[in-house]
Amino acid sequence: MKKQIEDVKYSISKSLELPMDIIMDLPKLNLVGDMEASLQNHKGIIEYTEEVIRINTRIGVFKILGENLEIKTILSEEIIVAGLIKRIEIIS
Amino acid sequence: MLAIKIWNYFKGYVIIRVEGLTLERLLNLSAAHNIYLWDVKRSSGIVLEMKSSTKGFKALKQVVKKVGCKVTIKEKIGLPFLVYKLKERKMWAAGFILFWAIIIFLSSLIWKIEIIGNEQTPSEEIISLLEDNNINQGRLKYQINKDNIKDILNKNYDYLSFISVTIKGTKLTIEIKEQDLPPEKVDKAYPCHIVAKKRGVITKLIPKNGRAVVEKGRVVSQGDILITGILSDEASDGFMAVHAEGEVYAITRYSSIVREPIVKNEEKYTGNTIVQKGIKVGNKGVRFIRGSIPFDNYKEFEEEKSIINLEKLNIDFPIKVITYEYREVKLEEIRQDIEFLKNSNYLEAAKMINEEMPPDVQVQSKNTRHQVDNGILTTQLIIEAIEDIGRKQIIENRED
Repeated sequence: MKKQIEDVKYSISKSLELPMDIIMDLPKLNLVGDMEASLQNHKGIIEYTEEVIRINTRIGVFKILGENLEIKTILSEEIIVAGLIKRIEIIS
Repeated sequence: MLAIKIWNYFKGYVIIRVEGLTLERLLNLSAAHNIYLWDVKRSSGIVLEMKSSTKGFKALKQVVKKVGCKVTIKEKIGLPFLVYKLKERKMWAAGFILFWAIIIFLSSLIWKIEIIGNEQTPSEEIISLLEDNNINQGRLKYQINKDNIKDILNKNYDYLSFISVTIKGTKLTIEIKEQDLPPEKVDKAYPCHIVAKKRGVITKLIPKNGRAVVEKGRVVSQGDILITGILSDEASDGFMAVHAEGEVYAITRYSSIVREPIVKNEEKYTGNTIVQKGIKVGNKGVRFIRGSIPFDNYKEFEEEKSIINLEKLNIDFPIKVITYEYREVKLEEIRQDIEFLKNSNYLEAAKMINEEMPPDVQVQSKNTRHQVDNGILTTQLIIEAIEDIGRKQIIENRED
């Protein structure tokens, strides 16, 4: 049942060219070079160290790996991470 | 970004250290409580450093209770904290304001009055005159009216040819230029030199007071001291200044040159004219042109006439009709008689010298030279005269 609703939402946003992240409530990751990453629509931080940041989202966990990572801003809908980013994984 | 930083500075923020094991939870909870945190840094395994607004920091206390960690303030940054500190140190803040107030006040006073260019009028006299008119040291410079100073000086000294008043910083500078005064008019209470008014060769020296420093036959240029008012005093081994007086006669030279072409172009009207009309509205005009002007040489005359004549009402009506008239001119070369031209040149040159020469001089010699060069007659007239070239100059007791 849930899968069917998702499919309908997906086809609506596809056919009407509406932004998917809003219709389907998906996280949106923006990268500026390897220096800054901003993740919108997150569901909280799971782990934060200088090398690893794990952020929970609706579709799974975003894992950002790098050096000297710091959280520039944390708001209820957006997190901005700065530092030297080396790898980004999505664990669903 | 800079705008946000400045905004944060004005609002004030704190750098806090949070110590605990479940720090991620703290971050999530504060995000959920709409507490704005930024620049979160992990300084060690169990310590986070972050910035928070003062308002956010108060709200954070509840979150901290839930999570169970320790919060300490590392640094307080921003204007509100600075103001708070200044409130604690009232005298310091007062001193700071007083310091600037004194600086501004002192720099808006006149501290020095300088008078430049006075040779016959003593500086002390001018300064005391200004003092009588409420212009003296220690007065606010915004109260001083430069035009007023000029008026005062002009009223009291009718022989000043130039006055300039400038205020630069805390110094009031008055620069004047004097016309030559008859020697009797210079105040005898002040010591003075007698200096040369113009270039010349000394022929006769009659010092009445003071010591002559030039002898007969010397060439002196303008401004040279002829009779000094500074005498060495043998008794005290020092100097004393006196009011020098005397007459110094010298041969001076006046010369003038007049150039005049021998062949002269004379213009004559032939009587042919062309008339064009135009309209002028305000300052912009339109000219109705009919063909080009067929004359080689012509003169243009312009006449304006208002469409409606309102001169009786004293109104200048802005729309005008302009008549342009072109009159043909014929150029004729006229060869002038050289002897006649020499004579007229000589008269012209003599007139020029007469204007320059003071009235009481003895003319020694006259010398006229004519020269024809490229069709131009050059006449040079040199007059040598004997006159008194002395002029009094007050000795300023300056160190320099």
